[in-house]
Amino acid sequence: MAAPELAPAEIQILQDLTILVFAPLVSGVVAHLEGRLQGRRGPRILQPYYDIAKLFAKETLVPEDASWVFLAGPVVAFACYLTVPLLIPVLTQYPLPLGYMGDILGGGFILSLAGFAVALAALETGGPYAQLGSSRAMTFGALIEPSILFVTFTVALVTATDLPYFEAAAVRSSLGQAIDPAHLLAAVAFFLVVLNDTSRIPVETHASTLEFGMIDEARTLEHSGPAFALLKWGSAMKQLILYVILINVFAAPFGEAGSRQLGPVLLAIPAFIGKALGVGAIFAVIDSSFSKLRLFKITEFMAVAFLLAVLAVVVLFLGAR
Amino acid sequence: MGAVLLAILVVPFAACLVCFVAPVKVAKVVTLSSGVATFGLALVLVPSHEVATAASGWLRADALSVVFLVAVTFLYAATSVFTVGYMRPGSGASEARYSRRFFIGFNLFAWAMAMTPLVNGLALLWVAVEVTTVVSALLVAIGDTDGGVEAAWKYVLIASMGLGIALFATVLMYYAGSSVLGGSYELFYPKLLGAAAHFPPEIVRLSFGLAVLGFGTKMGLVPVHTWLPDAHSEAPTPVSALLSGALLTVSFYAILRFYQVTIKAIGPAFPRDVLLVFGLASLVLAALYLASQRDLKRLFAYSSIEHMGILAIGMSFSAPIAVIGVLLHVLAHAAAKSTAFFGAGSVIAKFGTKEIGRIQGGVGALPWSGPMLLLAVLGLGAMPPFGVFRSEFYIVEGGLQHGSTALCAVLVVFVTCAFLGLSWSASQTMLSPTPKGVVRGEVSAWMAASMVIGLAGLVVLGVHPPAQLSGLLERAAAELGARR
Amino acid sequence: MAALGTSPTALTDAADVLALLVLLSEFAMLRSSLSRSQVRLYAFQSLCVSVLAGFVAATQHIGDLYGLMGMSFVLKVVVVPMIILRLVKEVRVDVTDSHRLGVATMVLLAIILSVFGIFVVGRLPVHSKSLPILALGLSAAVILVSFLLVIVRNDVVSQAIGFFSLENGVSVASLVLAAKLPLIVELAFLFDLLVAVVVFGLLMRVHHGRARTLSTRTLDRLRG
Repeated sequence: MAAPELAPAEIQILQDLTILVFAPLVSGVVAHLEGRLQGRRGPRILQPYYDIAKLFAKETLVPEDASWVFLAGPVVAFACYLTVPLLIPVLTQYPLPLGYMGDILGGGFILSLAGFAVALAALETGGPYAQLGSSRAMTFGALIEPSILFVTFTVALVTATDLPYFEAAAVRSSLGQAIDPAHLLAAVAFFLVVLNDTSRIPVETHASTLEFGMIDEARTLEHSGPAFALLKWGSAMKQLILYVILINVFAAPFGEAGSRQLGPVLLAIPAFIGKALGVGAIFAVIDSSFSKLRLFKITEFMAVAFLLAVLAVVVLFLGAR
Repeated sequence: MGAVLLAILVVPFAACLVCFVAPVKVAKVVTLSSGVATFGLALVLVPSHEVATAASGWLRADALSVVFLVAVTFLYAATSVFTVGYMRPGSGASEARYSRRFFIGFNLFAWAMAMTPLVNGLALLWVAVEVTTVVSALLVAIGDTDGGVEAAWKYVLIASMGLGIALFATVLMYYAGSSVLGGSYELFYPKLLGAAAHFPPEIVRLSFGLAVLGFGTKMGLVPVHTWLPDAHSEAPTPVSALLSGALLTVSFYAILRFYQVTIKAIGPAFPRDVLLVFGLASLVLAALYLASQRDLKRLFAYSSIEHMGILAIGMSFSAPIAVIGVLLHVLAHAAAKSTAFFGAGSVIAKFGTKEIGRIQGGVGALPWSGPMLLLAVLGLGAMPPFGVFRSEFYIVEGGLQHGSTALCAVLVVFVTCAFLGLSWSASQTMLSPTPKGVVRGEVSAWMAASMVIGLAGLVVLGVHPPAQLSGLLERAAAELGARR
Repeated sequence: MAALGTSPTALTDAADVLALLVLLSEFAMLRSSLSRSQVRLYAFQSLCVSVLAGFVAATQHIGDLYGLMGMSFVLKVVVVPMIILRLVKEVRVDVTDSHRLGVATMVLLAIILSVFGIFVVGRLPVHSKSLPILALGLSAAVILVSFLLVIVRNDVVSQAIGFFSLENGVSVASLVLAAKLPLIVELAFLFDLLVAVVVFGLLMRVHHGRARTLSTRTLDRLRG
């Protein structure tokens, strides 16, 4: 008897569901691990789920002068975060039907759209800290864009396409490929980009709400109730998506399902979660080892990411003789 | 002949070792005799038509080497005469420790510079030039003045970075050769020259360009000359004389060796263009700067840059007589510049300052050194009957034969500018009336005697170079690819 | 991809990564503000160069290079940093604090220089049996960035480290182009470097003795 197979559409929906369901789990594990590393007991692993559930039950307060954008922002962001998993290799090695809808650049645009929506919503509030957070987030987002672009170019130069699936295939093809210098540089550069985009040390600190240093956290200060729940869930999903790109495209694209059979696809889920938790652990260690950079030094951090990304492209382009 | 090479290897180094333990007076005698002996040994090599080798090929003296060797050793001899007077008791410069360090460094420096034309191969050439750099940097700083330390740091940093580039150029040339000579060979000149026609051209081009840039840093070519005025003006005077007269020419020798290999590999057009660009830049810049100098030794340092520019321009003319002119200029400039610095040394010792504005009436105060300094300035400005006139005449004639009339015009114009700058300062310091408080009389007979030696050499080269010297120059020019 | 005459293998990639680490440590030197960390970065860079030499020795079966690797390890990873660290300790000046440009500007300039260097080398018709050509491009980049390091830094330690890292860059280039250079010549180069180190150290000490600081901002008396 042939093993049961899933239709491609079903696998695609499964990908989305995986990200949706497990994102808060990854957040929770990372937070708990951080706490442990710092000598505390740490929050419960399932705490983010409880938080989201609690927030859905609360009422929504809207500032007096805010318009419909204030409520639409979190929803748009959430929708974007639901869209991106359709484009990247989460569970499978082969591209799924809607996977051709957009390439890495497309995925990047959609993620930026999400951030833009949240920033707009924050501007709507008129509160000073929210606006501060928005402007900082947009600025640093713009500064890190060149690095993302160059990392994309690296992928494109290797595989002659922008599709993340093929880069992963190239990495899987030989172990030697993993220590190819361009690949390493691009991976490290993207790692730094992820550090920035998930608002981790050394860019921003999760642990406190010190307004002078807040970038992303400040944007969500004024939200409450279900909108806030969507925001929190969305940011956890964004984190998991970025981890996915880092792992499944650059670092360790193993364990994904090679076929449409039910067994391998279902196995891919814990494999993927396990890898994400591994990356999360690395981030937790970094969180506990370094201190936050002062705001004006963040540009140095971005310069380093840019440097590595440019070197990756140059090394690839000119080393190929 | 091989024994001569070994003797030149040994004598200055032995002198240096002796100076470790000898008191000042003995050190002076040892240095003086070492200088004269080395010069004599170099002169022995002049008439010989064959190439001398020693130490199983690691030392080699062809005509080109002998020309530069003669220049270096002449300076060694003349400067050691000057040093006897410079380190006179009571001058503050003859403290036991200072003088010991000075003589050790002096002899070691002269040894390194004498070695550079004698070693065989581009690799050892680089090593020798690097040794001259580090030793001379220490000598520049030996006076322990603020200016000296600053100049020494700038010098050693810029020159070492330049030599790093020159090392890269050497490695590139090695790679160019390895396609023909195999993976492992010693970069000896005869081998390189024999196989050069088959070297890959782009590599040789890049190597030559980098070599001119790198060794040009040590030669004082603009724009990598910035250490030169500082180092030459802040060093003790004997060291300045050696730096200007000998070290710059030795660096030029290194460039010439690369030139020799390059023209065999890719023909003369590209190397000539490169040298022309650097030479013109040096000549123009130095001539312009000479007009605004306030420090006597800095004045002569810029004059050195100008003459190095003339050497480079001369090499870019293709006529054989221009190349002979360049080689003669090496000798003549060594004699003239050293005399100028010796004179400057006397003047500075007499008046206690280097500033041109504060020195008046040199001729009146120094009955021998003053007029001789004026003669040296005339010599530097290419006036007959001095050797520099003859050499620059040859260079311009070569340029006209080559058809670069415009370039020759530019050359003459800027040489005249430079002479204007030099003579303005010289006349201000020398020909003005002597101020009241200055006692008339030489500071030291030895210092004046060294000037006589320099001037004598300059006049001999200008009026009638000995036939054997002319023969040597022609043979050397032939080695550089310019046959009559 | 690389030019060992065959398709890229893990070995050539490893060599490339080593050369890349040399370049990256050069960039880190640009950024670092403590003299101590600059010296340690130089030691790390020299370590990469020594390992690269050992790599070439192993793959090309050149016995001489093992000796060279050992000597350059002792000299550049142990002796030179020790000399400079001792000076820094005596002087008791920790922070060099001597950038003339901001870090981001320096990094951008360094990127431009590196790309230029890699590009120019990429244009040369060079085929090396010992290391991939990328290593040559990276060494050209190291040389150019070391010039930048010397120019934008205002203290003697940074400038001296800049010169030593220039020599490291040339060493990598010579490993690519001239791996079979006779041992005598290589030893002469190394000996020369040692002498240069001694002289640099002496002059640094003299400078500090007079100016009471390691900064070169005081060295601006001589102009024109």
